Amino acid sequence: MFSGLKERLQAVRNRLGGSIGAVAEAAPPAPAEQAAPSTPATPQKSPTLADKVKILIIDRELVVSAKDIAEALDELEMTLLESDVALPVTDAIIANVRTSLVGKHRKIGESVDALVVGALKSALLNVLGKGFDLPAYIRAHERPVKILFTGVNGTGKTTTVAKIGAYLKKQGFSVVIGAGDTFRAGAIEQIGVHAERLGIKIIEHQTGADPSAVLFDTVQYAVSHKTDVVLADTAGRFHTKANLMSQLDKIRRVMKPDLIVYVDEAVAGNDAVVRAAEFDRTVGADAIVLTKVDMDSRGGAAISIAHTIGKPLLFLGTGQEYEDIVPFDPDAVVEELLGCGA
Amino acid sequence: MMDTLSSSLKDALKKLAGKAVVDRAAVDELVKNLQRALLSADVNVKLVMELSKAIRTRSLDEELPKNTNVREHVLRIVYQELVRLVYATADVKLEPQVILMAGLQGSGKTTTTAKIARYFQKKGMKVGVICADTFRPGAYDQLSTLCAKINVPCFGDPKATDARKLVREGLVAIKDLEVIIVDTQGRHALEPDLIQEIIDLNVITKANHRWLVIDAALGQQASEQARRFHEAIGIDGVIITKMDGTAKGGGALSAVAETKSGIVFIGAGETIENLDRFDANGFISQLLGMGDIQALAEKVQEAQMASEVDMEAMMKGHFTLRDMYKQLEALNKMGPLKQIMNMLPIGNMQLPEGVYDVTSTKMVRYRILMDSMTPKELDDPGLINSSRMQRIARGAGGTPEEVRELLKYYKMMHKTLKGLKGMGSGGKFNMQRLMKRFSGMQ
Repeated sequence: MFSGLKERLQAVRNRLGGSIGAVAEAAPPAPAEQAAPSTPATPQKSPTLADKVKILIIDRELVVSAKDIAEALDELEMTLLESDVALPVTDAIIANVRTSLVGKHRKIGESVDALVVGALKSALLNVLGKGFDLPAYIRAHERPVKILFTGVNGTGKTTTVAKIGAYLKKQGFSVVIGAGDTFRAGAIEQIGVHAERLGIKIIEHQTGADPSAVLFDTVQYAVSHKTDVVLADTAGRFHTKANLMSQLDKIRRVMKPDLIVYVDEAVAGNDAVVRAAEFDRTVGADAIVLTKVDMDSRGGAAISIAHTIGKPLLFLGTGQEYEDIVPFDPDAVVEELLGCGA
Repeated sequence: MMDTLSSSLKDALKKLAGKAVVDRAAVDELVKNLQRALLSADVNVKLVMELSKAIRTRSLDEELPKNTNVREHVLRIVYQELVRLVYATADVKLEPQVILMAGLQGSGKTTTTAKIARYFQKKGMKVGVICADTFRPGAYDQLSTLCAKINVPCFGDPKATDARKLVREGLVAIKDLEVIIVDTQGRHALEPDLIQEIIDLNVITKANHRWLVIDAALGQQASEQARRFHEAIGIDGVIITKMDGTAKGGGALSAVAETKSGIVFIGAGETIENLDRFDANGFISQLLGMGDIQALAEKVQEAQMASEVDMEAMMKGHFTLRDMYKQLEALNKMGPLKQIMNMLPIGNMQLPEGVYDVTSTKMVRYRILMDSMTPKELDDPGLINSSRMQRIARGAGGTPEEVRELLKYYKMMHKTLKGLKGMGSGGKFNMQRLMKRFSGMQ
């Protein structure tokens, strides 16, 4: 997973390490002979230079300047952009790495690599946030736990609902699915077949019915049958369609979900940020599911969306089978991206 | 976000305006802003780099043509280079043909298949559809429901598991039809079995066209996916879907560059009619966040109303009920007003909400009411007093309230158009001034 981004980050890491290393090699010969005369000669002119010299003499440390890493950061920027990390998010990550590297004192003995990896790692972890343990959440809350799935068209909401249904069933929870996509032709049939295959109860009305009513019935069913989890599928909608967004708002009011899960695809580019922000603003989002991760080894969208709405990633969808879903673990992902060892 | 980008792009262009010679720093800034705009629109990073290099060298090296200022010169180069990116528009011939649809999961192949069937049907061709998606539950139901709405035969079997066999049977079953569209299961390039399947389907169908459906939101991955699909079956056209969201469709440009083909259609909306032929100028204007009047002109022409709807006169403020009548008629053929207004070069101007609220049923009522008016009243709505209102209402089988509502709507339209007029220079529709005005307002 994310092997593309991993390779690229590896290259940038070497590059950053290289440019800092180069400073290290160029600088050391100077202090021994010249440091003593130059310190009194330019005391008021530039305190940073004095600082540098002092550090070189006393602590034998190095200061990383913005110029040293500018080129490598440019390369990191391109890498992130090519990996579908949205422009504003890329800017944020670069700024983060820059501030944590520039002005940093590095002891001569300390590995350059560790410094760079540390900076990248904290920047990425910062952006990805914490994971989300769904089974633990369900155990800790009053049943039924109602989960509403939202997102734009064709991101894989219905498939995700089926996969999460299978996952929770395996964990020993009882599940009911609400066929809330009453708009798209064939949608009810689609989720119906999934539910039948998985042996999960489904509540459905006919095409064109009010989705709020379907999902209300689903919640009623769950309450009277003491079902653990309600998974509410909805029709895909664009955040620009005011009527559809208010329909979603109505669904939220009627079924009062415990969790709103926003579903988007890993292959989405910059628009991922725009629509995630808009969904978060209008109906809210508590967690994110990223689908079609198997299509894309770059994983930039994960970083973009997580950074934009600051909500945890719940699952990654990694294929067409019901088992192809993995709980998201930010530490593991960052570890993997940066090739561990750090 | 896009708005700030396009306005910074405009600012960068503005800086070039007063200059007598091309200024290296100003060009650099323009190129940098352009890069950011394109990257935010998901255009492939390598394409963007090539493009900006070409624009920089051409702007600095090429001699300034006579009678043009620096700004126009650079803008023209930018535009030419961008148009080169989208290649030519792919041809759609009205002849018997087999079309194979390909694309990633959830990119909108099935919906687009139905829209294309509708497109050919409207052009008078006999169309049939084969549903070769034997994997996704509900796929056949979805396609057959859509086809039933437009009376297009749809061949398929929800229980079948072998797409190859199904397509062979389908080709026999609907062989009398002129245009056959084969909808396939969503797949991505890293699934060798499915790629083999579509290679086989291509052989079985002897498809004349292999169109790749690309989601407007698809990012940098577009290049790679398009390349693999192209290697497998030789893509000869790209369709961009979901252009009604906020995505700019830059990923499709990467697909076009990889497949050396053109963009055939653009899908923008959930109903079966929301399919447009591709127009390079319009697409680029939207990509950069600038309006486009050319697409509007074409759309008007298609509705065969070009001679009747006089945009110029409307912009000048000569707007009577008669014009509104024609406009409502034209709009019925052209699509929702909002879509039309988006194509006008008025950028992100906020029109009063009510302007868009006129539903098609209301439009029909309005037209009946106007049929009940005298020519004088149509030319000068100010004449209409309460007794005339009574008469109009009675003639149209409605109530005076309806007439009042119609007049209110007319006044709102009139005011909106008058607002536009103020921005033209001396009555002449001046796009540049408009843009400038609006970029200042943002």
